[in-house]
Amino acid sequence: MIEVENVSIAHGSGRRELSTVEGVSFSVSAGELVALVGPSGCGKSTLLYALDGLITPSEGHIRIGGDEVQGIRRDVALILQDAGLLPWKTVRQNAALALRIQGIEGDAHETLDSLGLADFESSYPGELSEGMKRRVGIARALALHPRVLLMDEPLANLDSLTREKIQNLILDLWRTLHFTGVLVTHDIEEAVFLARRILLLSPRPATLTEIVANPEAGAPDYRGSDAFYAQVQYLRTKLGADET
Amino acid sequence: MRQLGRYVLAFLVLLGAWWLASWALHLAHGREVLPTPAQTFSEGLQNIGLLARAFANSAWRFLLSLAIAFSLGVPLGLVIGFQRRLHQYLSPLVHLTYPIPPVALLMFLYMAFGIGEAVKVLVVVAALFFQVLVAAQGAARQIPQTYITSVRSAGANAWALYRHVVLPATLPSVLTAARVSVGLGITMVYIAETELGLRPGPESGLGSLIDHFTFRTELALAGVVGLALLGLASYAGLELLDRKLCRWRHLGGHGEA
Ligand SMILES: Nc1ncnc2c1ncn2[C@@H]1O[C@H](COP(=O)(O)OP(=O)(O)O)[C@@H](O)[C@H]1O
Ligand SMILES: [Mg+2]
Repeated sequence: MIEVENVSIAHGSGRRELSTVEGVSFSVSAGELVALVGPSGCGKSTLLYALDGLITPSEGHIRIGGDEVQGIRRDVALILQDAGLLPWKTVRQNAALALRIQGIEGDAHETLDSLGLADFESSYPGELSEGMKRRVGIARALALHPRVLLMDEPLANLDSLTREKIQNLILDLWRTLHFTGVLVTHDIEEAVFLARRILLLSPRPATLTEIVANPEAGAPDYRGSDAFYAQVQYLRTKLGADET
Repeated sequence: MRQLGRYVLAFLVLLGAWWLASWALHLAHGREVLPTPAQTFSEGLQNIGLLARAFANSAWRFLLSLAIAFSLGVPLGLVIGFQRRLHQYLSPLVHLTYPIPPVALLMFLYMAFGIGEAVKVLVVVAALFFQVLVAAQGAARQIPQTYITSVRSAGANAWALYRHVVLPATLPSVLTAARVSVGLGITMVYIAETELGLRPGPESGLGSLIDHFTFRTELALAGVVGLALLGLASYAGLELLDRKLCRWRHLGGHGEA
């Protein structure tokens, strides 16, 4: 479904050019959920923006469903860090924004309803709790019924209870909607809980250092099991080793 | 409603201070210098028709200038502020022209455009235009990147970006600029109505009226009250507009900017 082939991304140009992502290759099959894990500032968001078509790699190719990514596509949705809601739009307007901009029939009512947000459709983001804002961010992406869902630290800076709830929600959605998911996170437990494969990135410029198989992810009772903690521990040493 | 109460209170305080000032000045000079509120209002009421016509003319001039200045200054300011390239090239130009007081060029303006209505509006527009332009430009540069990424990822083209992010994000600052320019705008209307040119009749504007009745101080002062009322009404109108258009900012709550 997603093929990333030898992708490098640089910001700026000439003498001020800074390499952010270097020679990254991986692929994600249809219906798979993978996590990109790496230290903060290593280039995770940058790579995800390239998958979304927001920025063009300086080298390499990104293909989704066989086609080279050249700009925003209807079947790919991005959930931004901090949800990226527009404070001057209501929950309903925020959730339906992509539909409206792309001229797609329908509203986001059903999606909002299924995420338990029906009663807040006329609220503004400033009136919501942090956890609800993230839900609206998820609803906004899902309103497009995307085949590919890109998530940029969707749960950063949440209290642990809310985070676990929304992790369970994402898992539920993935199992019912069968989207292909790329989850960027710097939370190791989150990656282990949600992703069948975990791609480890080096500090900037991001290179792919290892792909960790995590076949048990996706089972609701995986969290808290011995296998879960062993996997978390393994990744911790891996990432710690990269640090020094 | 509580807001209204505060305005009534402020009005009473102002009347008291005014009355005190005219009493003290009378005492100091041994003759009347500043008419009392009572004298002013009774003289004003006797000439209410004249005052109303002058008020209407000034208000029209002011609102027209405000509308022209905003419909030119806001789009231009937003584009210059938002497009980095344009900003680099045009902001020196803005900063060079911004500090020039348009009244300093009044003589040339009269020579170029004559002494009619057009030049009066032009002077006011010129003063407000730069206020608005600079405010809109500054606000457009402050837009958080995440909003831009957010709508670009939703598939927005340049037009949708302005429509869904740039315009609403800068609207509060633009309305604040409007409030700030009320004072300047009314001052400019006064100047435009009193400086140079033919002496038009006192009904052609509050400035002309004040000028015309320099020696009938009660009536001149009634004209000044008219200017204050024009300012107050503009403020109230803009406040209302802010509450209506920027409802998301007035929710109490977390007050996200
Ligand atoms: N538009 C840009 N121009 C220059 N540098 C940038 C830009 N965007 C990101 N960077 C830099 O690229 C690096 C990676 O950023 P990012 O992808 O946001 O990291 P992460 O998401 O892993 O925390 C950071 O050092 C950041 O400062
Ligand atoms: Mg990031």
